[in-house]
Amino acid sequence: MPTTSAAAGGSPTAAVQVRGVSKRYGDRRAVDDVSLEIHRGEFFGLLGPNGAGKSTLIEIMEGLRRADTGTVAVFGESPWPRNTALLPRLGVQTQSSAFFVRQTAVEHLRTVAALYGAPRSAVDSTLESVGLSEQRRVQVENLSGGQRQRLAIASALVHGPELIFLDEPTAALDPQARRALWEVLRGLKAEGRTIVHTTHHLDEAEALCDRIAILVDGRIAVTDSPHNLVGASRAPSRLMLPLGRLDEERAAAIEGVERVTVEGGSLVLETHAAGRVLAAVDRIAGLDGVQTRTASLEDVYLDLTARLTGAGRSGHPNAETTEP
Amino acid sequence: MSAYAALTGAGYRAQVRDKTTLFFTFAFPLLFLVVFGLIFRGQAVEESGLSYLSYTAAGVLSWGVANAAVFGIAFTLMQWRTDDILRLIRMSPAPLSAVIGSRYAIALVVGAVQSLLFVGVAMLPVFGLRPASGWPLLIPVLILGITTFLLLGVIIGSFADTPESVAAVANFLMLPMAFLSGSFFPLDSMPSWLQKVSLAMPLRYLNDAVSHALAGRGDSSDVWTGCAGLLVFALVFGAVAVKTFRWTRSS
Repeated sequence: MPTTSAAAGGSPTAAVQVRGVSKRYGDRRAVDDVSLEIHRGEFFGLLGPNGAGKSTLIEIMEGLRRADTGTVAVFGESPWPRNTALLPRLGVQTQSSAFFVRQTAVEHLRTVAALYGAPRSAVDSTLESVGLSEQRRVQVENLSGGQRQRLAIASALVHGPELIFLDEPTAALDPQARRALWEVLRGLKAEGRTIVHTTHHLDEAEALCDRIAILVDGRIAVTDSPHNLVGASRAPSRLMLPLGRLDEERAAAIEGVERVTVEGGSLVLETHAAGRVLAAVDRIAGLDGVQTRTASLEDVYLDLTARLTGAGRSGHPNAETTEP
Repeated sequence: MSAYAALTGAGYRAQVRDKTTLFFTFAFPLLFLVVFGLIFRGQAVEESGLSYLSYTAAGVLSWGVANAAVFGIAFTLMQWRTDDILRLIRMSPAPLSAVIGSRYAIALVVGAVQSLLFVGVAMLPVFGLRPASGWPLLIPVLILGITTFLLLGVIIGSFADTPESVAAVANFLMLPMAFLSGSFFPLDSMPSWLQKVSLAMPLRYLNDAVSHALAGRGDSSDVWTGCAGLLVFALVFGAVAVKTFRWTRSS
């Protein structure tokens, strides 16, 4: 079944609608019967281990690859084959090597803007928004890794797209630049733009995304808000005691404690019954200096991907969801 | 600013900022002129009565211009694909014609500068080239030649994924073609079957046309046959180039 055209249509609130999309490379199923819908104005995270099929799925949404089966609609239109009416509405972050050679930052961005027919004034404001105004006259070959990455992001934003695909946008950034970029991205969302974000930074996904999908072995393992995912987590809570307060055997003997380890100067107790274990610790050793950590999105992610990539692939559910 | 103008501007800046490549693009054909000039100084080509130099100047000029057109675009397209620049353009609404058109404009300028420099040096007393009366015909002939070889370069640039493979493939085609088309040595001195083989080479047609326009060899029909031959090759290469063009390495 070929990818169908605009007739695939879809709901008017959907920015991207993917239905039953599969893609094979030889014997390997890179993307295996994936369906998902990204709403307009949504900040959507696509997570998954390397090789899970994220890039292939994104490239199918962007119209760079053709799905073997299934349909894709972006703003109700098929992105494949090259759809020049649709392309100005999309912004795609490039690799940090995708710069016109021997150009300055501003020359590169002007060239990109001209490819889209975007006004020149947009170039300066976009450079400003990613914090590259001071580097505008620096040749792209002489930019630092973080600066190159910000220029690559600027290349995706300069024409004011409605739907933005970002691939690991903060990978090469230092913590300050990373937080600054988060603000840029939140600003884009506040303007009503739709953002599809792939990342390995789970804290980033938790902080920014309205919803995330976790892709494992080419299938969507789960789609939900970070909040619901963490809430429904099967990952244990962690109680951290200053070392020396309690010896390991006594800690392990507390009812409800599943595992005891020493990490970073703390004795760490893992449990699914945090309340009971805390009460016991209070009785035995007191609660001074005791910290508790509930499961983070990273724990949920690690737990889920470990279960699904582990033994018995055949049995893994297609779409486990915590949605009611 | 149009996509075409922007890409041409970016290409122009990239070209003039790379002094090394710029220097050797123009120095390369001159080197051949000097070497052949020294080897064959004062000798005449059998039967034709032309000085060897005026013969070889035409051949080296057509080969030099064709070579620059092939290598220039083949390297650029390969590099742009490797660096994902083509992917970036592919994701914009800019047409493929803006990409190729911008490289075409740059190739024409490179060819014009190459030709002026080359003919200017060949006319120095040391070499003593005297352009034939039909020299203005060089302009349309070289434009057509650059068009044909640029389209050949587009095909090479679509197949090759590394600088090494661009150089290997382009040299594999262009160097034997230079000898077989009579760019460096007169065709008359080759076996007749090889002379027939040369009719299947686009450079043969460029050579013949340039030889008449610049050195006055043969007659004006060489120019028209040459142009017709180049046009046929341009159409064939153009059709193959459109079929084989790849925006990304995986497509």
